[in-house]
Amino acid sequence: MRHPVLIAALTLTTLGFGTALADDDCEAPLADWQPRSAVQQLAQSKGWTVQRIKVDDGCYEIKGRDANGQRIEVKIHPATLAVVEMETEDDDDEEGEGGSSSGAPDPQGAAPATKNPLINGSGQPSGVVQ
Amino acid sequence: MKKIAAALALTLALGLPTLAEAREVTFTTKLKQYGGSPAFVVLYVTDANGQYQGTLWMAGRETKYYRHLSDWKRATRGDLGQIDGITGASVGSGKTLTVKIDLADALIDAGYQVRIDAAVEDMGDSPGEIVVPLSASGAGKPVAGRGYVESFSYAL
Repeated sequence: MRHPVLIAALTLTTLGFGTALADDDCEAPLADWQPRSAVQQLAQSKGWTVQRIKVDDGCYEIKGRDANGQRIEVKIHPATLAVVEMETEDDDDEEGEGGSSSGAPDPQGAAPATKNPLINGSGQPSGVVQ
Repeated sequence: MKKIAAALALTLALGLPTLAEAREVTFTTKLKQYGGSPAFVVLYVTDANGQYQGTLWMAGRETKYYRHLSDWKRATRGDLGQIDGITGASVGSGKTLTVKIDLADALIDAGYQVRIDAAVEDMGDSPGEIVVPLSASGAGKPVAGRGYVESFSYAL
């Protein structure tokens, strides 16, 4: 009688673990993880001031400020050190505005120049919501 | 006089091809009155085989929601460098997003497609909302989306 209970418990545990893995933003084997010092170096190269580096959802997460002093929270892929997600202080203010107009491109992200091959160098793209 | 003529010829030789290579294209995306939170909308270009070529505009700044623009996310592997300088506010219910961009002439009538993914918090994702060829004959002809987009058109 204990076996069915054990099996059920094991199944639930396994399913739950599987769900947790599926919810991770970053997927990388532990062997491929870069050291925390590499994340620190990445932050320095982008001009960020790091307050904390932790691991969340399978990613490194940096909390700190960008070169302009704006508060940031950045998820970094642990193997490639690519920026997976970046939130700024202003991000929270935007939602719930009902899509009010915004003409100027957002300089979010570190690099001002795009590597988008579609964009002609002579003209700055614009987007307006009305 | 010869110097002026030479300078003029050089200017024409160098300048005219540049002018002929690109043109301003206006993309207009009107959303339905779906009644929910502002939508995240991304416009991007693929070739005829569906291979990602580049992003035109990202409407919505909070990167944690980009995973809901699933076709775009898959194509770019979430590379935020693709949208540096081309990101703006999300688009409210019933609102219209107008994007103006200088596009290479080589993209017109060459089998390239404009695609739109859209997503609204608590209302679901709509990858492949719009898929239309980028062609002179398709310009100015509104197309309905399959989810949140009431009409999409572009003007060359």
